[in-house]
Amino acid sequence: MMDALIFVLAGAFATATPLLFAALGELVVEKSGVLNLSVEGMMALSAAIAFMATLQSGSHLVGFVAGAASGALLSAVFAVLVLGFMANQVAAGLAVGILGLGLSALFGRAFEGATLMGLNKVAIPLLSDIPVLGRILFTQDIVVYGGIAATGLVAWFLYRTKAGLTLRVIGENPDTAHALGMRPVGVRFLAILFGGAMAGLAGAYASTVLTPLWSQDMIAGRGWIAVALVVFGTWRPGRVAVGAYLFGAVSLLGLALQAMGIGIPAQFMTCLPYVLTIVVLVAISADKVRVRLNAPAALGESYRPAS
Amino acid sequence: MRHWMRTALATVALGVALTVSAEADPFKIGYLLPNPVGELGWSYELDRGGRAIAEKFGDKVEVQFVNSLGEGPDATRVMNKMAADGFNMLVLGSFGYQQDGMKLAKRYPKLSIVHIGGYMNAPNFSTLTPRHYEAAYLCGMAAGMVTKSETLGVIAAFPLPEVLNVMNAYVLGAQSTNANLKPVKVIWLNSWFDPTMEKASTESLASQGTDVVFSLFPGTPGPMAAAEQLGIYGTVTHSDNSKFAPTKHLCAGQLNFGPVMIKKVEEAMAGNFKGDDVFAGIADNAIAVAGLNKDLSDEQRALILARQDEMRAGTFKPFTGPITSNENKEAVAAGTSLDDRAIKGMNFLVKGIDTTIPK
Repeated sequence: MMDALIFVLAGAFATATPLLFAALGELVVEKSGVLNLSVEGMMALSAAIAFMATLQSGSHLVGFVAGAASGALLSAVFAVLVLGFMANQVAAGLAVGILGLGLSALFGRAFEGATLMGLNKVAIPLLSDIPVLGRILFTQDIVVYGGIAATGLVAWFLYRTKAGLTLRVIGENPDTAHALGMRPVGVRFLAILFGGAMAGLAGAYASTVLTPLWSQDMIAGRGWIAVALVVFGTWRPGRVAVGAYLFGAVSLLGLALQAMGIGIPAQFMTCLPYVLTIVVLVAISADKVRVRLNAPAALGESYRPAS
Repeated sequence: MRHWMRTALATVALGVALTVSAEADPFKIGYLLPNPVGELGWSYELDRGGRAIAEKFGDKVEVQFVNSLGEGPDATRVMNKMAADGFNMLVLGSFGYQQDGMKLAKRYPKLSIVHIGGYMNAPNFSTLTPRHYEAAYLCGMAAGMVTKSETLGVIAAFPLPEVLNVMNAYVLGAQSTNANLKPVKVIWLNSWFDPTMEKASTESLASQGTDVVFSLFPGTPGPMAAAEQLGIYGTVTHSDNSKFAPTKHLCAGQLNFGPVMIKKVEEAMAGNFKGDDVFAGIADNAIAVAGLNKDLSDEQRALILARQDEMRAGTFKPFTGPITSNENKEAVAAGTSLDDRAIKGMNFLVKGIDTTIPK
């Protein structure tokens, strides 16, 4: 019983980490007023590239760098379409996402069936000796800790730095921001690249650590869940992180309950993470005024710089 | 008159030429698979069956492989084109090809079609299903022998009859070698393919004391790789997965489509293709245990292989009564064995499996 509980709570962090990275990246992109729906495709492409890089180099670090770079590269294609050619953001995002999925199959196929060693868990001295809690919180791989740090960093950047303020202003009203001497196109371009790199890290984690093997369609919709988490987490990094961990925990809970032989229909347990995550996030975001305050007003609108 | 003679001669000459070229033409086979072939697993084994045909018949056949062919319009287009181009035989490697294949079989009576799995038949449309459950019984025997916690776990894709009969055979096999088995834990993935959940399921089962996990129709080698890392034994269907679990690979039901495929091709080439249901097992050399772990003693290994020989000879059938379902009903009466039809339509789980069939 205790072991099952530890499995669920400790495993939730690893399961949630790809969602968290991708969602934090998308959050920054959306805060700048751009809706990038290609997260799934970026994750898929970078999962394939990161897997190849790790397999060839033997180093996870190289894999993560390659994953981030490939995610950023694909997001640059999206950025050129929506910022340069002022394409519709939804359509461009979907198109680039499909491109990413296709490219991932193209590059990854040669490596299908190969496996890697995952990352070792890092037990934090002293803290990991605490009974139960130590195994849940302080015996994780380094990227999981990185995800928690990234949540804090993104929150700090958005709400405590001048650059973060600039980004949020541009997401609210790019015309006003431009009139005030800010550079909406440049800032949005950087935000999109950041989002791509984060989706890249998410894909890299999925293919080189979480399940150290690559197979086509391995992202299996997690990119879309990341996009949904941003909306249901009302564009707040902390809530997005809570949502991601909740989703991870509940999806593992289903497996644990099944293994215990508790007679809950498996189909119900399969859909529970989605339902519960939405319900909880909607409940904590029930205040409509605050939702409106957090939602970027210019989200999804093309911006044409005044000449 | 002269003109008439010339036309007649030309016609005869053309006819002769056509006959000659028809004789020299190889027997053309289209081999359609839904997924990329990969290094092992279902598609890989099917592909290997096709290669066996090409190797066996050499120049006499021409096998055209199409991989990653999406079910639906793409598949319809490709198989129609092949039929129209005068292919003699099609091998359809996915359930989603069944309807289109049947339409083609009716339109082209001379075309022979072998469909993997499925339930439809026509004089020129046959099904081919491996008896996964035979190897699963043998792997279950191995699991019963090595388990220390007496707790086995199964990760299963969907609650279909073909999955249920494999799971039942596995558990019956384990019970035959271990009388103290605790209820077998089952996780239904409700997916053919989800690497993250397949791996997490293995961890979940391990966290609850399972020390042998059976990955029943896995989409990926994930559970085997996870079992190796967790230090528990892994058992698997379709292919020997030893490379993913070098020390913890307990047993695999290794498919071998070559011999049965070659038989169907021979039938078709001789013009007496039968539209039958081929349910190919150990006796047909279509499946066998592989990758038995070295932790099994020589006696244990001999016991398993002896059972395999009995299955090959037809003297042992896994689904022989008395078998009780896990709802405490009589599933198979004492002294009788289930026929193929009942095995293919299985809708119960044997006593000792700790799950219900999701409805």
